[in-house]
Amino acid sequence: MDITEYIKLVFTDYTLRTITMGTAILGAVTGMLGSFAVLRKQSLLGDAISHAALPGIAIAFLITGTKDTNVLLLGALISGLLGTFWIRGIISKTHLKSDTALGLILSLFFGFGMLLLTFIQKQPNANQAGLDKYLFGQAATLVESDVWLMAIVTGICLFVLLLFWKEFKILLFDADYTKTLGFNTNFIDVLITSFIVLAIVLGLQTVGVVLMSAMLLAPAAAARQWTDSLGIMVFLAAVFGAFSGVFGTAISATQNNLSTGPVIVIVAGVFVLVSFVFSPSRGLLFKQIRFIKNRRDLQLHNTLAFMFRIAETHENISHPHAIKILNNFQGFTKGTLQKLVRKNYVKLDGSMWSLTEEGFKIASNLYNQQSDNNE
Amino acid sequence: MSNAQLEIQVIASLVAIACAIPGTFLVLRKMAMISDAISHSILPGIVIGFFITQDLNSPLLILLAAITGIITVVLVEYIQKTGLVKEDTAIGLVFPVLFSIGVIMIAKNANDVHLDVDAVLLGELAFTPFDRLIISGADVGPKSMWIIGSILIITIGLLIAFFKELKVSTFDAGLSASLGFSPAVIHYGLMTVSSVTTVGAFDAVGAILVVALIIAPAATAYLLTNNLKRMLLYAICFGVFSAISGYWLAHVLDASISGSITTMLGLLFFMVYLFAPNKGVIAVMYREKQQRTEVSLLTFLLHLKNHTEESERHVNHLNEHINWQKVRSKTVLDLALKNNMIQFDKNIVSLTEKGDEFTSKAIDYIITNKDAQIEHMKDDFFLFRG
Repeated sequence: MDITEYIKLVFTDYTLRTITMGTAILGAVTGMLGSFAVLRKQSLLGDAISHAALPGIAIAFLITGTKDTNVLLLGALISGLLGTFWIRGIISKTHLKSDTALGLILSLFFGFGMLLLTFIQKQPNANQAGLDKYLFGQAATLVESDVWLMAIVTGICLFVLLLFWKEFKILLFDADYTKTLGFNTNFIDVLITSFIVLAIVLGLQTVGVVLMSAMLLAPAAAARQWTDSLGIMVFLAAVFGAFSGVFGTAISATQNNLSTGPVIVIVAGVFVLVSFVFSPSRGLLFKQIRFIKNRRDLQLHNTLAFMFRIAETHENISHPHAIKILNNFQGFTKGTLQKLVRKNYVKLDGSMWSLTEEGFKIASNLYNQQSDNNE
Repeated sequence: MSNAQLEIQVIASLVAIACAIPGTFLVLRKMAMISDAISHSILPGIVIGFFITQDLNSPLLILLAAITGIITVVLVEYIQKTGLVKEDTAIGLVFPVLFSIGVIMIAKNANDVHLDVDAVLLGELAFTPFDRLIISGADVGPKSMWIIGSILIITIGLLIAFFKELKVSTFDAGLSASLGFSPAVIHYGLMTVSSVTTVGAFDAVGAILVVALIIAPAATAYLLTNNLKRMLLYAICFGVFSAISGYWLAHVLDASISGSITTMLGLLFFMVYLFAPNKGVIAVMYREKQQRTEVSLLTFLLHLKNHTEESERHVNHLNEHINWQKVRSKTVLDLALKNNMIQFDKNIVSLTEKGDEFTSKAIDYIITNKDAQIEHMKDDFFLFRG
């Protein structure tokens, strides 16, 4: 199937359109809120929350007996919030560190959830099949009302985000200062954490508890590489998230036996990889290039300084010297010599070189600076 | 109790012990989440190993999976070293991607591979007794028991051999480096042991329970003691207790054994979290309340000492001046009276000799901040303790 055909199918086919819309919106909202999680160094909180939501789903099913998505997600939301606040309690009330608290809540809640799920499976209730889709998510089960729910929640998130933008931003970068300004930091903190929980819970149906944390982190981590401005980062993260959703859905839809969740996570991972390598200011590639360039510049200066020291001993600065005497000096290569010639610092004459007027001036400056630094 | 039931409990207990030992050090080194990352990212290693060996219990598969675990650690550290993202983000990025690759590899080969994701995630302890190890025709017990048993013996051997080094490097990395133990060797040694344990245990109990068994007993023990040896011992006891009681819980409910073991671990942690003598939530809250009262008492006494005029020391005035609520002022007054520090004279409060002396000492302490002056006061008050 070629691309145009696929795009046409996205617009005509109900299921594909719903899933594409759903994953795109999900990616956008998780990317948006994930930016805050990443910047607040709460990256793994998402992992803990998504696992902690599982018992909520099971209990909601046990109580109501329905498989209505909204009811189950409400259960997930409550249990996710419970997990989050217990984590905060453990960190603030005991001397256990945050990583231990996260790991504890994650595994304990998840294990309890599995106990309930297996318990439900043994019940004589034919309705229970399919609860385990929340483990890895099944984008195929998305229906239009789910997408509407996601869209509404995303709208609310966006609205609150814009409303409290200043507060969120200041809390992010200087919590103590925020407190002295008289903001209720606890309230802002709880608000933003609750929205992160909400976004995670929304994604459970599509991506599943196990992989949800990556949806939260990957777009934000990728966006972080391209900018130092919070607004742009949030926007970029939303875009990356949405594209991960769309591309992931496209890839999994055109292949057999590929579940959507893992594919979306891998696509998001590719975004991160590309950003890590190719981002102009922070990326590894340009960092390496800058590093090499700096080293070359240094070598050039070294060669020039060495030449200057030789030329200094002669009355006539343009007195020619043999290239050979440069060879025992480290900074010298044929390339650097050529570069010096091109910059018109040095004149070449067969196997002899001589400093030009300009080269001498530059080099003496350089040399003076160097000796200044040495003193 | 049938033979199979006994074997399941033995396997669960062995897994619990094997997990508790590296878990204690991971919790102390603030690397608990690494175990979560390892337990997820060994999946591709397991799948590749399974393609090659077609046997979930083969040593080659364990080796491959353990290598994937170490690759995870290295990758996380590499990403962290580039400075592009923080450590926790690095962990959160690496393991879902590796896990996804594993899930997709399973899904693409679903038809010809007897391996499904649920089994990897949850394990099935109930089936372990059926996979027997047969040496020259004789049945010597379930394979899992032998695997986890040998891992446990190696772990204990390493623990005894390197206990001192582990201890020093956990609590003071700088000191251990200056003493000549390479922190890197110990770090990667611990990571290797954790990976191998996770892989060896996951077949029986699944990836998530491994995390629970690594973190929860150690965290519970950490709330009860500050002594490393005792913490190890407690962690092992908690692990084994949850393993056995969890098995019976599952038996009663007819539900997943690994789920019930985790639930037992959770209950145990919750109880200790609430009721631990010094570090439990209730103890901490009680102590905080005591300290609050004592600070109030001190403020009150200082106020009395500073004001000689009677109007400032009238009971009614005190209430509004220091702005305490009725209940609290009553507790403070009672405490002061009980300690013979104040006396009433027609609703005028004044310090007794003892109270005066106490207040002077307290001021002295606050100003000089020297511990020696308050040694004997410590018995009466929480405030000055530690």
